[in-house]
Amino acid sequence: MMKRDWTPREADRWTGADTLAVILSPVIYFLILLGFSMAFMLKVSGFIIVGATVVLTIILAKIINPKLDAISRGYEEKQKEYIEELENKLKWMD
Amino acid sequence: MAAERNGIGMVDFAFLDWFWLAAFLIIMLISGIRFYRLGKRSEADYFLAGRGLPWWLPASSVYATHTATDTPMWVSGMVYKLGLSGLWYTFYSSWCAIGAFVAAKIFRRSLAYTQAEWQSLRFGGMAGELLRGWIAGWQVFLNMFILGWVGIAMGKVCNFLFQWPPWVGLVVFSSVCAVYVLASGYWGVVMADFQQGVIAFIVIVIVSIWGINVAGGPSGIAEKLHQMGEAGKLNPFNFTGLFGGEFPLAWFITMLFIGVLGGLGMGTAIDWFPEAQRIQSARTVKDASWSIWSGSALVLIRNALWGVAILAFFVIYPDLTEVKNYEMAWFRLGFENLPVGMIGFFFAAIVAIHISTISTHLNLGAVYITRDLYHHYINPEATQKKLVWVGRMGTFLLLLGSFAFGLIMENITEWLIFALWIMAAGVWLPGILQVIWWRFNGWGYLTAWISNLVFSWLVVWVLPAFGVLPELRDYQQFWALMALGALVFIPVTLLTRPEDMDKLVKFYVMSRPVGWWGPVRREAERRGLL
Repeated sequence: MMKRDWTPREADRWTGADTLAVILSPVIYFLILLGFSMAFMLKVSGFIIVGATVVLTIILAKIINPKLDAISRGYEEKQKEYIEELENKLKWMD
Repeated sequence: MAAERNGIGMVDFAFLDWFWLAAFLIIMLISGIRFYRLGKRSEADYFLAGRGLPWWLPASSVYATHTATDTPMWVSGMVYKLGLSGLWYTFYSSWCAIGAFVAAKIFRRSLAYTQAEWQSLRFGGMAGELLRGWIAGWQVFLNMFILGWVGIAMGKVCNFLFQWPPWVGLVVFSSVCAVYVLASGYWGVVMADFQQGVIAFIVIVIVSIWGINVAGGPSGIAEKLHQMGEAGKLNPFNFTGLFGGEFPLAWFITMLFIGVLGGLGMGTAIDWFPEAQRIQSARTVKDASWSIWSGSALVLIRNALWGVAILAFFVIYPDLTEVKNYEMAWFRLGFENLPVGMIGFFFAAIVAIHISTISTHLNLGAVYITRDLYHHYINPEATQKKLVWVGRMGTFLLLLGSFAFGLIMENITEWLIFALWIMAAGVWLPGILQVIWWRFNGWGYLTAWISNLVFSWLVVWVLPAFGVLPELRDYQQFWALMALGALVFIPVTLLTRPEDMDKLVKFYVMSRPVGWWGPVRREAERRGLL
């Protein structure tokens, strides 16, 4: 899950890191809204939830960033060629 | 230099207040116009800032765009009525939670300028072209409508504060904004958005905390709510039952379902369309992902703060029964409680909030006019200079259209909200299927749009009017429209030919969609493309 050295080819595949990211991410959003609204009411539970949200966000970044880096690196090498191709497709019904 | 207030609904500006307003407008104009040279270089610069932005710039634009003049009114209305549980109505932006790591990656790698263009990359033949034309036309209309809607909200705020006729606030501030959007395009939008987002966030924090303190602080608010017998408003999960009442658990679960799983697809939420432009303007896939994730996270933090501020307003004014009175809660907290010299600062921030939304939709509507209608259908050989010029003409057209919409909005709002709702409800599932299922084809998606138009009229208006169906609640309408649509578009998909394999392979190799793409992936591997 915490693999750090992805090749662009490996990173393109759906893996456990992606699954974990799409589970963690909505949970974090849920806790952001819940935790901050309670923390602004100065409830202790709100501050605990906000703290947990920060920790989960760091974990999310640790899991998904190496993969996103590899995808970005791999894609940028091809982007120029793809843009040229896209412009050539502009004609209607081409 | 006191800013004297002649009771609720009237604000007299002192010199210092006018100074703040003038200074903010000048700074906004300069920060937008100074990117004129970058904006005019090409179509990609005028609409995507050359696809070179670090994540925090589109993120601030996501935040600024989704902080509009009508947003605090809407949050005020929900929280005043339902308490903190009303905040879940704002959780629709949770589609970005999954969208950032699924849809954003796929869309950024497609390089499509717009969602309409993406349709023609995903689907081929006549169905792909029809979808592109339809979505482009729909988006031009929708952006004009949003501009009118948000513009007239500003007109109402100015009417509330200064007794100006509503058209004044609509025309003046949208026109000021159009100056830098016309000049610099998306470069101007995103750079001004950053500045406007910072100003808006600071002022939202100041005004909300000020209001909370006026009401006795968080503990004072809680105590008063208990005394008033309204302690339920402090509970974020204060639902009115499983299926009945104002805010049942079933509606909450439906909203979570729509919001969170919507991130697997494209076009599953109205906000997808401006976000798609921000995704495409990011310099890498990683920047694209974190831009919408963090921008939306900031929106949720803002909503949480607003929620508590509206509770503060509730304990000060607990007996308001008309929506038009309590939906102004957050504005009233600021205008009625801020000290001398801060009123103009607050109003200038409201203008910043307003302009950031207007600028986005002016440029977004113009990209559909330019890229999808003019460049694609009318003049594919157009020079970059010509395309930027068409972009400016499109921006101007949208501005004029927004004035017309804004001025007739009172009479057509109900119909347009209905139109927005049906567009979101019935095409939610197809919006996901087009991303995750290779076999879903253009005819299936097109049929989904058409059948949704028919079913939504029947389910929401016609059948209940004739007593054939009971009037369904919002969440029931969503499930009904989704199921009825699937009964049509899934058979149509399976009875028509799959998309051409060459097109699918090209799309797959470039965008790397997730889900059920096995046959396409194997074909791409067989051809040595992966």
